[in-house]
Amino acid sequence: MRTWLVHPKVTLAARVVQGLVFIAAALPKLADPPGFAKAIWAYQLVPAAALNPLALVLPWLELLCGLALLAGRWVRPAVLWVGTLLLTFILALAINLARRHPVDCGCFGSAAPKTEAQRLADMRWVILRDLGLLLLVAQVLAAGRPIDAGTVGVR
Amino acid sequence: MLPSLGSTPFRVLALTGMAGVAALLSNSLASPARRLTWTGSGPSLPSFTPPPERPPQAAPTPQPPALQKRKADPPLTPAPPARPRLTAPVHPAPPEAQRRMASSPIREISGQEAWKAFQSGTPFLDARRSSEFAEGHVARAWCTPVWESDVDDRLIAFKAARRPGSEDPIVIYCGGGDCRDSHLLAEKLLNEGYFHLLIYRDGFPDWMAQGHPVEKGQP
Repeated sequence: MRTWLVHPKVTLAARVVQGLVFIAAALPKLADPPGFAKAIWAYQLVPAAALNPLALVLPWLELLCGLALLAGRWVRPAVLWVGTLLLTFILALAINLARRHPVDCGCFGSAAPKTEAQRLADMRWVILRDLGLLLLVAQVLAAGRPIDAGTVGVR
Repeated sequence: MLPSLGSTPFRVLALTGMAGVAALLSNSLASPARRLTWTGSGPSLPSFTPPPERPPQAAPTPQPPALQKRKADPPLTPAPPARPRLTAPVHPAPPEAQRRMASSPIREISGQEAWKAFQSGTPFLDARRSSEFAEGHVARAWCTPVWESDVDDRLIAFKAARRPGSEDPIVIYCGGGDCRDSHLLAEKLLNEGYFHLLIYRDGFPDWMAQGHPVEKGQP
């Protein structure tokens, strides 16, 4: 079972999925940093001084990690960042869900207007999606050294 | 002790550094509508704490300004009531007028009140993004997108042209619904010494629905 879980093809698929998701998430944010700053602000969790720097740097970090995962270069550092970001997103959503403060995810740029109930429902789904992505992160990390050694053509 | 160049910690740091450099470059090349200020002093940075339970909307009653603002705008007014938020007015108003305005510096108004204000020549500020403004806005409204880096310049242009006194009414609107941009702009203007800020609660969608005058085009 463990052999199958860390099979190079599974790892390759996990990398590609994460890479594509993070590139897709980064592009709309890069195109509109003020919109992303507004999305972060809506979470009511980030200190004012950190809001704009975060809105500027985070999309580039997502893009670089996504590209690294797709290219198979610097996979371990990229996947560590992806895991950290996913944990942060899950935590931010969970806190707002717990205090029933509906927010637009902001994951893939600005979304169409929604009701509070729709937003709360969406937040639950996004947490589940991010947990799924975290499993992929765990898979890539568990595959460990064979990946870095180039078993699936990555370093 | 520094991590070696090929180690994972070094590469994690390198990814962060590359993202920072890319952000610096892209932000410096971006248009004003897409640019952000790096420092935390920009117009789009209200104070942050988790919002309290949303209280029922109540008719305004005379209260200290901070408390009054808290009722009108729960998610954006986390500052403790004791903290002084008001700065000196741009044009000092008579004491009587100051007392009257201080009791309710920011007030939400209905579409009907907004229409009356429009007819009486009250300036309208559009707090939405400049791209939304270009798609359609209240006739003769000023484009003051609170999330964009040039909002201060736009406000200076507005003040220079209209020369509003501290007690003169200013209507601020955004996209209605749960849009908070108008509240953010009102808070910014309040801090600049304007004490008669009318937030058009239902915003531009309501204005359109009522068939009131609309203009299109770049600011």
